[in-house]
Amino acid sequence: MNQGDRLDLLMEAARAGDEAAYRDFLGEAALRLRASLARRMNGDAELEDLVQEALIAVHEKRHTLDPGRPVAPWLNAIARYKLIDHWRRRGRNPVVLDDTADGEVAADGFAHVDVATLLDQLPEAQAEAIRMTHIEGLTGAEAADRVGIGHSAMKLRVHRGLLRLKDIVAGKA
Amino acid sequence: MMERTEDLIARLAADTKPKSGSAMRHFIAPLLLACVLCIGATALVLDDPFPTYHLRGWLPMVVKWGFSVSLLLIAGLALHVLGRPGRPSGWIIASLALPLVYIGYFALPLLLSGDLPWPGLAWERCLIAMGIMSPVGFAAAIMATRWLAPVDTRRAGFVAGLFGGGVAMTAYAPFCPGEGALYFVTFYLLPILTMAAIGWLSGPKLLRW
Repeated sequence: MNQGDRLDLLMEAARAGDEAAYRDFLGEAALRLRASLARRMNGDAELEDLVQEALIAVHEKRHTLDPGRPVAPWLNAIARYKLIDHWRRRGRNPVVLDDTADGEVAADGFAHVDVATLLDQLPEAQAEAIRMTHIEGLTGAEAADRVGIGHSAMKLRVHRGLLRLKDIVAGKA
Repeated sequence: MMERTEDLIARLAADTKPKSGSAMRHFIAPLLLACVLCIGATALVLDDPFPTYHLRGWLPMVVKWGFSVSLLLIAGLALHVLGRPGRPSGWIIASLALPLVYIGYFALPLLLSGDLPWPGLAWERCLIAMGIMSPVGFAAAIMATRWLAPVDTRRAGFVAGLFGGGVAMTAYAPFCPGEGALYFVTFYLLPILTMAAIGWLSGPKLLRW
């Protein structure tokens, strides 16, 4: 049985209401999405973010897969679309990772505000990344290990979170 | 992302409520609604339908409606195909040329024979009707397509524009006294292609998912 057949069978069982089969389907889809995206992303730190985005899309748009049609071309098309969308966003808003830049966000600028309230305004993943690295004092690698993502992805979350915090504070000033 | 991939999978897997079965409500209803709205509003606002009937019989309507109705039906079908990832769509895009071939059969002899009255009767009203109703049909097509998952958003936006133009022409054509090939090209085809171009440009933004 090849991979495509397995996905087709799992989806068929999931359609019949088998929750375990649907979980297996998503797990298998995640593996294939990761493999397919990794080939094209060439070590991009946001690989796992994109895998998760594609998985959510697979789930949200599962009604666009007609019964009886093979899953693989549908899944590949979604992965390709998400990758192109990722590149488009990247093109519009390039993120340059700089290890020293995050430390340079003026700490004094936050002195007069409630940090916990500010963090609540961020996406949970970014808030959690900042809590671990800037409040608990974990290193980037330790924080990355704790939530099960790559070191670069963790740096990216912290970086984006701090930039957003800066904007929030600037907006309030 | 909010969580680990394994946790995400567990969360998604717990939500197995089927999402199919509501294509009528999500995809077809906006398209139908736009048609009914445009046709109904035009019929309420304008008088004297089929003004050319006494002079030329049903032929002008057969030509105009033949083009516009086939365009909006094929465009609707194309959106349905384009909204399904992994489905080949070249054939349906190519079939969008069929309405043009149909109208070309009637218009080309007129163009070649030099029978080119222009601009024609009530052309301003025609442009206004196309300008008002094309965006209504386009918006409905975008709304319908957003429920699906178009992976070529430019192409889908282009087709949504064609659908909008097709709806507008279908609604207005019965009240149109204008005739001739140049009239068709200027006051129907150009507005339809303009709407399609707007769709092509805005598709990636409007249809992003």
